[in-house]
Amino acid sequence: MCEESDAVLIARAKEDPEAFGALYERYVKRIYNYIYYRTNNHHEAEDLTARTFLQALKNLARYKDRGAPYSAYLYRIAHNLVANWYRARSRKSIVSIEHVANVIQEPDCPVARAEKKEHREVLLQAVRQLAPDRQQLLILKFGDQMSNTEIGAVMERTEGAIKSLYHRTLVELREKLISADSETNRTLREDERWTTSG
Amino acid sequence: MDNERIIRAVSAHADSLIGRPADPVHLTDEEYRHIAPLFQLTEQLHRTMTPSSPSASFVRNLGQELMEQAQRQMAWSQRMRRGMLIGAAALGSLLSVASVIGAIVFVVVRWRARDQTCALHATPG
Repeated sequence: MCEESDAVLIARAKEDPEAFGALYERYVKRIYNYIYYRTNNHHEAEDLTARTFLQALKNLARYKDRGAPYSAYLYRIAHNLVANWYRARSRKSIVSIEHVANVIQEPDCPVARAEKKEHREVLLQAVRQLAPDRQQLLILKFGDQMSNTEIGAVMERTEGAIKSLYHRTLVELREKLISADSETNRTLREDERWTTSG
Repeated sequence: MDNERIIRAVSAHADSLIGRPADPVHLTDEEYRHIAPLFQLTEQLHRTMTPSSPSASFVRNLGQELMEQAQRQMAWSQRMRRGMLIGAAALGSLLSVASVIGAIVFVVVRWRARDQTCALHATPG
């Protein structure tokens, strides 16, 4: 059976709760995934996902279709809720290792496992230090596996602009990782000096 | 080095990793050396940022909550619509009654004024 378009479902959803249910089923995993990578916390991701859809439902009567996919609207609500969530926590960085524990395919050797875990954690921490639009781009590309055109529709940019932004994001991320690495090496050297002098 | 080609190559590499169609860009050795670290970083991101799914119970419970909320919202908006319709009908009735009364008053006043004028003209001297 042919899947109904977002526009058709939204028009129906104003009269029929089942239609909003179909929109919810279509986007809940993507929105959850986006929030999860932004917050790095399953409980917060569930809470903010629920709030995203409740807000979308509350504003459904006033929603106007401007040609962008409905997901763009949902991502915008989610983006604002995550921004408020960060503000409420006074930009305190919450680093949970549950993500690493869940995502990693565990290697056999404990040392290799720890190293791999650490690398992933460092990478995700660096991603979280990027500007929100750059984080969003990486989450949509790798978390949601969207094409540049789809990402462009969500972020209201052209496909070419998305490609350029992706390149700039990679360059910035690499610089952050290099500086994090040199910082770690400096700390290790200082620790070593303290140990040998002690 | 052509920056445009590098941007296209980096993007095509990411697209091929996530299984999206990508136009291959043939790079020179120098270009490849320059962007090899970005390719590696893309591969790291691809391995690390795997899709994460919510629990089935969460999806089910939130779905039910949204359906209930949608039904409540629709019932409320129907009540509002009905209330507005009744209000508008009542207002319309009031206005039509008022306009009928106004018309009657207008006609009576005009008649009285005409009668008085006739009486004045009929009085001799």
